[in-house]
Amino acid sequence: MSLAIRRTTELIGAAKWFLRRDSRVLSTLPEKVEEPPAELTSKRYRRRFFQNEAILETRHAYPEFLPDPNPNWRNSLREKLERADMLERRSQIDIPEFYVGSVLAVTISDPHAQSKTNRFVGICIERKGCGLRAEFTLRNVVDHQGLEVRYDLYDPTIQSIQVLRLEKRLDDKLFYLRDALPEYSTFSFDMDPEILPEGTPIPVNPVQVKLKPRPWLERWERQELKGVSNIEEHLKEKDRVRRELRKTPWEKYDLMKQYRKTIPIEDQSKIWAEVHNQLQQLQMARKKSARKRTFTTPKTQLG
Amino acid sequence: MNQADVSKLVSKLRIRVPAEPRKLRNIKGPEGRIDKLRKTVTGLIKYERIELNSNRGQEARQYAERLISEAIRHGDCHKPTMDIADYWLLEKELIHKLFKVLVPRFQDSNTCYTRLLNAPRIIHSRNPDKVILELKGNPYPVLGSNKMNNRFLIQNVLLDAAKYDYRQAKYAEFAKKIVNKEEKIDTTETEAPSIEKQQSDDKLTQS
Repeated sequence: MSLAIRRTTELIGAAKWFLRRDSRVLSTLPEKVEEPPAELTSKRYRRRFFQNEAILETRHAYPEFLPDPNPNWRNSLREKLERADMLERRSQIDIPEFYVGSVLAVTISDPHAQSKTNRFVGICIERKGCGLRAEFTLRNVVDHQGLEVRYDLYDPTIQSIQVLRLEKRLDDKLFYLRDALPEYSTFSFDMDPEILPEGTPIPVNPVQVKLKPRPWLERWERQELKGVSNIEEHLKEKDRVRRELRKTPWEKYDLMKQYRKTIPIEDQSKIWAEVHNQLQQLQMARKKSARKRTFTTPKTQLG
Repeated sequence: MNQADVSKLVSKLRIRVPAEPRKLRNIKGPEGRIDKLRKTVTGLIKYERIELNSNRGQEARQYAERLISEAIRHGDCHKPTMDIADYWLLEKELIHKLFKVLVPRFQDSNTCYTRLLNAPRIIHSRNPDKVILELKGNPYPVLGSNKMNNRFLIQNVLLDAAKYDYRQAKYAEFAKKIVNKEEKIDTTETEAPSIEKQQSDDKLTQS
Protein backbone atom coordinates (compact mmCIF):
# COMPACT_ATOMS: atom_id res chain seq x y z
CA MET A 1 0.00 0.00 0.00
CA SER A 2 2.69 2.42 1.09
CA LEU A 3 4.69 1.46 -1.98
CA ALA A 4 1.77 2.26 -4.21
CA ILE A 5 1.31 5.61 -2.48
CA ARG A 6 4.96 6.41 -2.89
CA ARG A 7 4.81 5.52 -6.54
CA THR A 8 1.81 7.77 -7.11
CA THR A 9 3.52 10.65 -5.28
CA GLU A 10 6.57 10.10 -7.48
CA LEU A 11 4.37 10.23 -10.54
CA ILE A 12 2.74 13.42 -9.32
CA GLY A 13 6.17 14.87 -8.62
CA ALA A 14 7.29 14.00 -12.15
CA ALA A 15 4.15 15.56 -13.60
CA LYS A 16 4.71 18.68 -11.53
CA TRP A 17 8.30 18.85 -12.70
CA PHE A 18 7.16 18.51 -16.28
CA LEU A 19 4.49 21.17 -15.87
CA ARG A 20 6.90 23.55 -14.25
CA ARG A 21 9.40 23.06 -17.03
CA ASP A 22 6.70 23.48 -19.62
CA SER A 23 5.38 26.67 -18.14
CA ARG A 24 8.87 28.05 -18.02
CA VAL A 25 9.35 27.78 -21.77
CA LEU A 26 8.25 31.27 -22.55
CA SER A 27 9.02 33.08 -19.36
CA THR A 28 11.31 35.99 -19.97
CA LEU A 29 14.03 35.23 -17.50
CA PRO A 30 14.76 31.55 -16.96
CA GLU A 31 17.08 30.99 -14.00
CA LYS A 32 19.80 29.51 -16.16
CA VAL A 33 20.28 28.30 -19.67
CA GLU A 34 19.74 24.55 -19.90
CA GLU A 35 21.88 22.61 -22.31
CA PRO A 36 20.56 19.11 -23.03
CA PRO A 37 21.81 17.36 -26.20
CA ALA A 38 21.07 19.26 -29.40
CA GLU A 39 18.76 16.67 -30.99
CA LEU A 40 16.60 16.43 -27.88
CA THR A 41 16.31 20.18 -27.43
CA SER A 42 15.24 20.78 -30.99
CA LYS A 43 12.54 18.06 -30.81
CA ARG A 44 11.27 19.12 -27.44
CA TYR A 45 11.49 22.76 -28.35
CA ARG A 46 9.56 22.21 -31.58
CA ARG A 47 6.79 20.29 -29.81
CA ARG A 48 6.45 22.95 -27.16
CA PHE A 49 6.56 25.66 -29.77
CA PHE A 50 3.70 24.14 -31.76
CA GLN A 51 1.65 23.44 -28.61
CA ASN A 52 2.13 27.03 -27.63
CA GLU A 53 1.20 28.29 -31.09
CA ALA A 54 -2.03 26.28 -30.93
CA ILE A 55 -2.85 27.77 -27.52
CA LEU A 56 -2.11 31.28 -28.77
CA GLU A 57 -4.59 30.87 -31.63
CA THR A 58 -7.35 31.02 -29.00
CA ARG A 59 -6.81 34.77 -28.84
CA HIS A 60 -8.87 35.45 -31.96
CA ALA A 61 -12.00 33.76 -30.62
CA TYR A 62 -11.79 35.05 -27.02
CA PRO A 63 -10.02 38.42 -27.12
CA GLU A 64 -11.74 39.61 -23.94
CA PHE A 65 -9.70 37.19 -21.84
CA LEU A 66 -6.62 39.33 -22.47
CA PRO A 67 -6.21 42.25 -20.07
CA ASP A 68 -6.06 45.90 -20.98
CA PRO A 69 -2.69 46.67 -22.57
CA ASN A 70 -2.36 49.97 -20.68
CA PRO A 71 -0.02 49.17 -17.75
CA ASN A 72 -1.64 51.87 -15.62
CA TRP A 73 -4.88 49.91 -15.60
CA ARG A 74 -3.40 46.49 -14.98
CA ASN A 75 -4.03 44.56 -11.80
CA SER A 76 -3.00 40.94 -11.96
CA LEU A 77 -5.22 39.81 -9.09
CA ARG A 78 -8.33 41.54 -10.46
CA GLU A 79 -7.64 40.11 -13.91
CA LYS A 80 -7.32 36.61 -12.52
CA LEU A 81 -10.55 36.88 -10.55
CA GLU A 82 -12.33 38.29 -13.58
CA ARG A 83 -11.15 35.39 -15.74
CA ALA A 84 -12.47 32.94 -13.17
CA ASP A 85 -15.82 34.76 -13.13
CA MET A 86 -15.96 34.78 -16.91
CA LEU A 87 -15.42 31.03 -17.04
CA GLU A 88 -18.06 30.61 -14.36
CA ARG A 89 -20.52 32.61 -16.43
CA ARG A 90 -19.62 30.67 -19.55
CA SER A 91 -20.42 27.43 -17.73
CA GLN A 92 -23.90 28.84 -16.98
CA ILE A 93 -24.88 30.02 -20.46
CA ASP A 94 -23.44 29.20 -23.84
CA ILE A 95 -21.47 32.20 -25.11
CA PRO A 96 -20.45 31.13 -28.61
CA GLU A 97 -17.48 32.20 -30.68
CA PHE A 98 -18.33 35.18 -32.88
CA TYR A 99 -16.58 38.00 -34.67
CA VAL A 100 -17.31 41.48 -35.93
CA GLY A 101 -19.53 40.88 -38.95
CA SER A 102 -21.32 37.83 -37.53
CA VAL A 103 -25.11 37.92 -37.24
CA LEU A 104 -26.31 37.22 -33.70
CA ALA A 105 -29.59 36.79 -31.88
CA VAL A 106 -29.53 37.87 -28.23
CA THR A 107 -32.31 37.17 -25.76
CA ILE A 108 -32.34 39.17 -22.54
CA SER A 109 -34.80 39.15 -19.71
CA ASP A 110 -36.87 42.31 -19.79
CA PRO A 111 -39.37 42.92 -16.98
CA HIS A 112 -41.33 45.41 -19.08
CA ALA A 113 -41.90 43.14 -22.05
CA GLN A 114 -45.04 41.06 -22.17
CA SER A 115 -43.18 37.77 -22.49
CA LYS A 116 -40.54 38.97 -19.97
CA THR A 117 -37.89 38.43 -22.62
CA ASN A 118 -36.60 40.54 -25.47
CA ARG A 119 -34.94 39.05 -28.53
CA PHE A 120 -32.87 41.18 -30.87
CA VAL A 121 -31.19 40.11 -34.08
CA GLY A 122 -28.45 42.10 -35.72
CA ILE A 123 -24.98 42.22 -37.18
CA CYS A 124 -22.13 42.69 -34.72
CA ILE A 125 -20.47 45.98 -35.66
CA GLU A 126 -18.04 46.26 -32.77
CA ARG A 127 -16.42 44.25 -30.00
CA LYS A 128 -14.90 46.25 -27.23
CA GLY A 129 -13.53 46.10 -23.71
CA CYS A 130 -11.83 43.36 -21.78
CA GLY A 131 -12.57 41.16 -18.80
CA LEU A 132 -16.06 41.17 -17.37
CA ARG A 133 -16.75 44.53 -19.03
CA ALA A 134 -16.45 43.14 -22.57
CA GLU A 135 -19.26 44.37 -24.77
CA PHE A 136 -20.53 44.06 -28.31
CA THR A 137 -22.93 46.10 -30.42
CA LEU A 138 -25.63 44.71 -32.70
CA ARG A 139 -27.12 46.69 -35.55
CA ASN A 140 -30.30 46.08 -37.50
CA VAL A 141 -32.83 48.11 -39.46
CA VAL A 142 -36.43 47.64 -38.28
CA ASP A 143 -39.26 49.50 -40.01
CA HIS A 144 -36.79 51.73 -41.89
CA GLN A 145 -35.27 52.75 -38.58
CA GLY A 146 -31.66 51.87 -37.79
CA LEU A 147 -31.30 50.28 -34.36
CA GLU A 148 -28.19 49.55 -32.40
CA VAL A 149 -28.11 47.70 -29.10
CA ARG A 150 -25.01 47.43 -26.98
CA TYR A 151 -24.82 44.32 -24.82
CA ASP A 152 -22.37 43.39 -22.10
CA LEU A 153 -21.08 39.98 -22.99
CA TYR A 154 -21.19 38.76 -19.37
CA ASP A 155 -24.42 40.51 -18.43
CA PRO A 156 -26.41 38.22 -16.09
CA THR A 157 -29.69 39.30 -17.70
CA ILE A 158 -28.67 37.75 -21.00
CA GLN A 159 -30.54 34.49 -21.42
CA SER A 160 -29.01 33.25 -24.64
CA ILE A 161 -26.67 34.30 -27.40
CA GLN A 162 -27.14 32.51 -30.69
CA VAL A 163 -24.92 32.88 -33.73
CA LEU A 164 -27.10 32.90 -36.83
CA ARG A 165 -24.32 33.44 -39.34
CA LEU A 166 -20.69 33.01 -38.34
CA GLU A 167 -18.44 35.09 -40.57
CA LYS A 168 -15.96 37.94 -40.59
CA ARG A 169 -15.92 41.11 -42.66
CA LEU A 170 -13.05 42.95 -44.29
CA ASP A 171 -12.79 45.53 -41.51
CA ASP A 172 -12.35 45.40 -37.74
CA LYS A 173 -15.21 47.79 -37.07
CA LEU A 174 -18.36 48.22 -39.15
CA PHE A 175 -19.49 51.67 -38.06
CA TYR A 176 -19.78 52.63 -41.72
CA LEU A 177 -22.97 50.57 -41.89
CA ARG A 178 -24.64 53.56 -40.22
CA ASP A 179 -24.04 55.60 -43.36
CA ALA A 180 -24.54 52.71 -45.77
CA LEU A 181 -27.73 51.82 -47.58
CA PRO A 182 -30.16 50.16 -45.15
CA GLU A 183 -30.22 46.83 -47.01
CA TYR A 184 -26.67 46.09 -45.80
CA SER A 185 -27.73 46.09 -42.17
CA THR A 186 -31.21 44.60 -42.48
CA PHE A 187 -31.66 41.11 -41.07
CA SER A 188 -34.98 39.39 -40.54
CA PHE A 189 -35.81 38.35 -36.98
CA ASP A 190 -36.85 34.84 -38.02
CA MET A 191 -33.55 34.08 -39.72
CA ASP A 192 -32.47 30.45 -39.53
CA PRO A 193 -29.04 29.71 -38.09
CA GLU A 194 -26.55 28.69 -40.75
CA ILE A 195 -24.46 25.78 -39.54
CA LEU A 196 -20.87 25.60 -40.77
CA PRO A 197 -19.37 22.15 -41.30
CA GLU A 198 -16.90 21.24 -38.55
CA GLY A 199 -13.28 22.21 -38.99
CA THR A 200 -13.83 24.88 -41.64
CA PRO A 201 -11.99 28.15 -41.11
CA ILE A 202 -14.16 31.18 -40.38
CA PRO A 203 -15.31 32.54 -43.77
CA VAL A 204 -14.60 36.16 -44.62
CA ASN A 205 -17.48 37.92 -46.33
CA PRO A 206 -15.94 40.11 -49.07
CA VAL A 207 -19.07 42.23 -49.51
CA GLN A 208 -18.41 45.92 -50.14
CA VAL A 209 -21.21 48.19 -49.01
CA LYS A 210 -22.48 51.30 -50.79
CA LEU A 211 -22.57 54.51 -48.76
CA LYS A 212 -25.42 56.98 -48.86
CA PRO A 213 -24.52 60.48 -50.08
CA ARG A 214 -23.13 62.94 -47.56
CA PRO A 215 -23.48 64.22 -44.85
CA TRP A 216 -21.79 61.31 -43.05
CA LEU A 217 -21.26 60.62 -39.36
CA GLU A 218 -17.51 60.24 -39.78
CA ARG A 219 -14.87 61.01 -42.39
CA TRP A 220 -14.89 57.50 -43.82
CA GLU A 221 -12.49 58.43 -46.61
CA ARG A 222 -9.65 58.89 -44.13
CA GLN A 223 -10.02 55.48 -42.49
CA GLU A 224 -8.70 53.23 -45.29
CA LEU A 225 -11.78 51.00 -45.22
CA LYS A 226 -11.78 47.85 -47.33
CA GLY A 227 -15.48 47.12 -47.08
CA VAL A 228 -16.78 50.25 -48.84
CA SER A 229 -17.04 50.37 -52.62
CA ASN A 230 -18.26 53.85 -53.61
CA ILE A 231 -16.41 56.24 -51.32
CA GLU A 232 -14.70 58.10 -54.19
CA GLU A 233 -18.04 59.05 -55.76
CA HIS A 234 -18.96 61.29 -52.86
CA LEU A 235 -15.63 63.07 -52.42
CA LYS A 236 -14.69 66.53 -53.59
CA GLU A 237 -11.18 67.53 -54.61
CA LYS A 238 -10.80 69.28 -51.25
CA ASP A 239 -11.44 66.00 -49.37
CA ARG A 240 -8.89 64.10 -51.45
CA VAL A 241 -6.23 66.71 -50.74
CA ARG A 242 -6.97 66.69 -47.03
CA ARG A 243 -6.92 62.88 -46.97
CA GLU A 244 -3.43 62.96 -48.46
CA LEU A 245 -2.33 65.52 -45.85
CA ARG A 246 -3.75 63.49 -43.00
CA LYS A 247 -2.12 60.19 -43.96
CA THR A 248 0.23 58.67 -41.39
CA PRO A 249 2.32 56.11 -43.27
CA TRP A 250 4.93 55.98 -40.49
CA GLU A 251 2.50 54.50 -37.98
CA LYS A 252 2.83 51.12 -39.68
CA TYR A 253 6.49 51.11 -38.56
CA ASP A 254 5.96 52.57 -35.09
CA LEU A 255 7.13 49.51 -33.21
CA MET A 256 6.38 50.84 -29.75
CA LYS A 257 2.89 51.96 -30.71
CA GLN A 258 2.12 48.39 -31.76
CA TYR A 259 3.75 47.08 -28.60
CA ARG A 260 1.65 49.34 -26.38
CA LYS A 261 -1.53 48.07 -28.04
CA THR A 262 -0.89 44.36 -27.52
CA ILE A 263 -0.11 41.90 -24.78
CA PRO A 264 3.28 40.24 -25.38
CA ILE A 265 3.46 36.50 -26.12
CA GLU A 266 5.01 35.61 -22.78
CA ASP A 267 2.13 37.19 -20.85
CA GLN A 268 -0.47 35.85 -23.26
CA SER A 269 0.71 32.26 -23.08
CA LYS A 270 0.46 32.37 -19.29
CA ILE A 271 -3.16 33.53 -19.52
CA TRP A 272 -4.10 31.01 -22.20
CA ALA A 273 -2.44 28.19 -20.29
CA GLU A 274 -4.72 29.14 -17.40
CA VAL A 275 -8.02 29.23 -19.31
CA HIS A 276 -7.41 27.15 -22.45
CA ASN A 277 -8.40 23.77 -20.96
CA GLN A 278 -11.69 25.00 -19.56
CA LEU A 279 -12.58 26.83 -22.75
CA GLN A 280 -11.83 23.66 -24.69
CA GLN A 281 -14.09 21.63 -22.39
CA LEU A 282 -16.91 24.14 -22.77
CA GLN A 283 -16.51 23.97 -26.54
CA MET A 284 -16.66 20.16 -26.48
CA ALA A 285 -19.81 20.28 -24.37
CA ARG A 286 -21.36 22.70 -26.84
CA LYS A 287 -20.51 20.42 -29.76
CA LYS A 288 -22.07 17.43 -27.99
CA SER A 289 -25.27 19.32 -27.31
CA ALA A 290 -25.32 20.52 -30.92
CA ARG A 291 -25.10 16.92 -32.13
CA LYS A 292 -27.97 15.96 -29.86
CA ARG A 293 -30.11 18.74 -31.34
CA THR A 294 -33.30 17.31 -32.80
CA PHE A 295 -33.70 17.74 -36.49
CA THR A 296 -36.39 20.19 -37.53
CA THR A 297 -37.56 20.82 -41.06
CA PRO A 298 -36.53 24.27 -42.20
CA LYS A 299 -39.20 26.90 -42.41
CA THR A 300 -40.55 27.66 -45.83
CA GLN A 301 -39.25 31.01 -46.98
CA LEU A 302 -42.08 33.01 -48.46
CA GLY A 303 -41.40 35.72 -51.00
CA MET B 1 -10.79 49.61 -21.01
CA ASN B 2 -9.42 48.75 -24.41
CA GLN B 3 -9.30 45.36 -25.96
CA ALA B 4 -5.80 44.13 -26.71
CA ASP B 5 -4.91 43.99 -30.38
CA VAL B 6 -4.65 40.31 -31.31
CA SER B 7 -3.65 40.66 -34.95
CA LYS B 8 0.09 40.70 -34.15
CA LEU B 9 2.24 38.78 -31.69
CA VAL B 10 5.24 40.49 -30.14
CA SER B 11 7.93 39.22 -27.78
CA LYS B 12 8.10 40.82 -24.40
CA LEU B 13 10.74 43.50 -23.95
CA ARG B 14 13.18 42.97 -21.12
CA ILE B 15 13.22 46.67 -20.25
CA ARG B 16 10.66 48.72 -18.39
CA VAL B 17 8.25 50.32 -20.85
CA PRO B 18 6.57 53.54 -19.72
CA ALA B 19 2.80 53.73 -20.30
CA GLU B 20 3.02 56.82 -22.50
CA PRO B 21 5.47 57.57 -25.30
CA ARG B 22 7.60 60.71 -25.02
CA LYS B 23 7.09 63.55 -27.43
CA LEU B 24 10.43 64.62 -28.84
CA ARG B 25 10.08 68.26 -29.63
CA ASN B 26 10.31 69.10 -33.34
CA ILE B 27 8.53 71.02 -36.07
CA LYS B 28 7.16 68.07 -38.03
CA GLY B 29 5.21 66.48 -35.21
CA PRO B 30 4.87 62.71 -34.89
CA GLU B 31 6.59 62.10 -38.20
CA GLY B 32 9.57 64.18 -37.13
CA ARG B 33 9.73 62.26 -33.88
CA ILE B 34 10.00 58.96 -35.70
CA ASP B 35 12.61 60.44 -38.06
CA LYS B 36 14.74 61.50 -35.09
CA LEU B 37 14.44 58.06 -33.56
CA ARG B 38 15.36 56.40 -36.86
CA LYS B 39 18.58 58.40 -36.97
CA THR B 40 19.37 57.46 -33.38
CA VAL B 41 18.63 53.76 -33.82
CA THR B 42 20.74 53.67 -36.99
CA GLY B 43 23.58 55.34 -35.09
CA LEU B 44 23.28 52.88 -32.23
CA ILE B 45 23.41 49.86 -34.52
CA LYS B 46 26.33 51.39 -36.42
CA TYR B 47 28.57 52.63 -33.58
CA GLU B 48 27.28 50.37 -30.78
CA ARG B 49 27.80 53.16 -28.22
CA ILE B 50 26.45 56.70 -28.49
CA GLU B 51 25.91 59.68 -26.19
CA LEU B 52 22.47 61.32 -26.29
CA ASN B 53 20.16 63.62 -24.46
CA SER B 54 18.34 61.66 -21.81
CA ASN B 55 14.78 61.62 -23.19
CA ARG B 56 15.84 60.78 -26.71
CA GLY B 57 18.11 58.03 -25.42
CA GLN B 58 15.34 56.46 -23.34
CA GLU B 59 12.93 56.55 -26.26
CA ALA B 60 15.41 55.24 -28.83
CA ARG B 61 16.34 52.38 -26.53
CA GLN B 62 12.81 50.96 -26.68
CA TYR B 63 12.75 51.08 -30.45
CA ALA B 64 16.19 49.47 -30.73
CA GLU B 65 15.11 46.68 -28.37
CA ARG B 66 11.95 46.11 -30.39
CA LEU B 67 13.86 46.02 -33.66
CA ILE B 68 16.34 43.44 -32.37
CA SER B 69 13.62 41.30 -30.77
CA GLU B 70 11.62 41.31 -34.04
CA ALA B 71 14.76 40.30 -35.93
CA ILE B 72 15.40 37.46 -33.48
CA ARG B 73 11.79 36.28 -33.52
CA HIS B 74 11.20 36.22 -37.28
CA GLY B 75 14.67 36.00 -38.86
CA ASP B 76 15.67 37.44 -42.22
CA CYS B 77 13.24 35.42 -44.37
CA HIS B 78 10.18 37.24 -43.03
CA LYS B 79 9.02 39.99 -45.38
CA PRO B 80 7.37 42.36 -42.82
CA THR B 81 10.40 42.18 -40.53
CA MET B 82 12.65 42.98 -43.50
CA ASP B 83 10.45 46.00 -44.29
CA ILE B 84 10.70 47.18 -40.69
CA ALA B 85 14.48 46.80 -40.69
CA ASP B 86 14.64 48.62 -44.02
CA TYR B 87 12.61 51.48 -42.57
CA TRP B 88 14.49 51.81 -39.31
CA LEU B 89 18.05 51.41 -40.59
CA LEU B 90 18.87 54.35 -42.83
CA GLU B 91 22.17 52.82 -43.97
CA LYS B 92 21.32 49.64 -45.79
CA GLU B 93 24.50 47.72 -44.97
CA LEU B 94 23.38 47.78 -41.34
CA ILE B 95 20.49 45.43 -42.23
CA HIS B 96 23.14 42.76 -42.81
CA LYS B 97 24.75 43.65 -39.51
CA LEU B 98 21.41 43.33 -37.71
CA PHE B 99 20.63 39.86 -39.03
CA LYS B 100 24.15 38.41 -39.28
CA VAL B 101 25.93 39.96 -36.29
CA LEU B 102 23.39 41.13 -33.71
CA VAL B 103 20.87 38.29 -33.99
CA PRO B 104 23.51 35.58 -33.31
CA ARG B 105 24.97 37.74 -30.54
CA PHE B 106 21.67 38.18 -28.67
CA GLN B 107 19.84 34.94 -29.60
CA ASP B 108 20.55 33.12 -26.34
CA SER B 109 20.58 36.15 -24.09
CA ASN B 110 18.18 36.23 -21.15
CA THR B 111 18.43 39.95 -20.53
CA CYS B 112 17.90 43.11 -22.54
CA TYR B 113 20.10 43.88 -25.52
CA THR B 114 21.08 47.44 -24.70
CA ARG B 115 22.49 49.31 -21.73
CA LEU B 116 21.61 52.86 -20.74
CA LEU B 117 23.95 54.73 -18.41
CA ASN B 118 23.82 58.26 -17.07
CA ALA B 119 26.68 60.36 -18.35
CA PRO B 120 28.54 62.67 -15.96
CA ARG B 121 26.95 66.07 -15.69
CA ILE B 122 28.82 69.35 -15.73
CA ILE B 123 28.02 71.17 -12.50
CA HIS B 124 26.14 74.49 -12.83
CA SER B 125 25.67 73.92 -16.55
CA ARG B 126 22.34 74.43 -18.25
CA ASN B 127 22.81 71.46 -20.58
CA PRO B 128 20.19 68.71 -20.52
CA ASP B 129 20.97 65.40 -18.87
CA LYS B 130 23.07 63.13 -21.02
CA VAL B 131 22.95 59.37 -21.24
CA ILE B 132 25.10 56.78 -22.92
CA LEU B 133 23.27 54.13 -24.90
CA GLU B 134 25.18 51.05 -25.96
CA LEU B 135 24.61 47.60 -27.34
CA LYS B 136 25.69 44.83 -25.03
CA GLY B 137 28.71 42.85 -26.10
CA ASN B 138 30.35 45.82 -27.85
CA PRO B 139 34.12 45.89 -28.34
CA TYR B 140 34.74 49.07 -26.30
CA PRO B 141 36.13 49.19 -22.75
CA VAL B 142 33.58 48.77 -19.98
CA LEU B 143 31.82 51.87 -18.69
CA GLY B 144 30.75 52.58 -15.16
CA SER B 145 32.37 51.08 -12.07
CA ASN B 146 35.42 49.17 -13.22
CA LYS B 147 35.34 45.91 -11.35
CA MET B 148 37.58 44.20 -13.90
CA ASN B 149 40.52 42.18 -12.58
CA ASN B 150 43.48 44.34 -13.60
CA ARG B 151 46.20 42.19 -12.07
CA PHE B 152 47.21 40.98 -15.52
CA LEU B 153 47.70 44.39 -17.10
CA ILE B 154 51.34 44.61 -18.27
CA GLN B 155 52.16 47.53 -15.96
CA ASN B 156 50.91 45.59 -12.94
CA VAL B 157 52.75 42.43 -13.97
CA LEU B 158 56.01 44.39 -14.32
CA LEU B 159 55.44 46.19 -11.01
CA ASP B 160 54.74 42.87 -9.27
CA ALA B 161 57.91 41.37 -10.72
CA ALA B 162 59.93 44.40 -9.60
CA LYS B 163 58.47 44.17 -6.06
CA TYR B 164 59.29 40.46 -5.94
CA ASP B 165 62.86 41.09 -7.04
CA TYR B 166 63.26 43.87 -4.48
CA ARG B 167 61.96 41.66 -1.67
CA GLN B 168 64.18 38.78 -2.66
CA ALA B 169 67.17 41.08 -2.60
CA LYS B 170 66.16 42.38 0.85
CA TYR B 171 65.70 38.82 2.24
CA ALA B 172 69.12 37.85 0.93
CA GLU B 173 70.59 40.89 2.64
CA PHE B 174 68.90 40.02 5.99
CA ALA B 175 70.01 36.42 5.74
CA LYS B 176 73.56 37.54 5.12
CA LYS B 177 73.45 39.87 8.16
CA ILE B 178 72.09 37.13 10.44
CA VAL B 179 74.72 34.63 9.31
CA ASN B 180 77.43 37.17 9.96
CA LYS B 181 76.07 37.88 13.51
CA GLU B 182 75.91 34.14 14.42
CA GLU B 183 79.45 33.64 13.28
CA LYS B 184 80.57 36.53 15.53
CA ILE B 185 78.67 35.07 18.55
CA ASP B 186 80.15 31.61 18.04
CA THR B 187 83.62 32.97 18.14
CA THR B 188 83.10 35.09 21.34
CA GLU B 189 80.87 32.92 23.69
CA THR B 190 81.51 29.45 25.34
CA GLU B 191 79.12 26.47 24.75
CA ALA B 192 78.24 25.47 28.41
CA PRO B 193 75.65 28.17 29.35
CA SER B 194 73.86 27.70 26.11
CA ILE B 195 73.28 23.97 26.82
CA GLU B 196 71.87 24.72 30.31
CA LYS B 197 69.54 27.23 28.79
CA GLN B 198 68.27 24.65 26.30
CA GLN B 199 67.54 22.10 29.04
CA SER B 200 65.55 24.58 31.10
CA ASP B 201 63.55 25.43 28.00
CA ASP B 202 62.72 21.73 27.43
CA LYS B 203 61.43 21.36 31.01
CA LEU B 204 59.19 24.34 30.59
CA THR B 205 57.63 22.92 27.46
CA GLN B 206 57.04 19.48 29.10
CA SER B 207 55.27 20.95 32.14
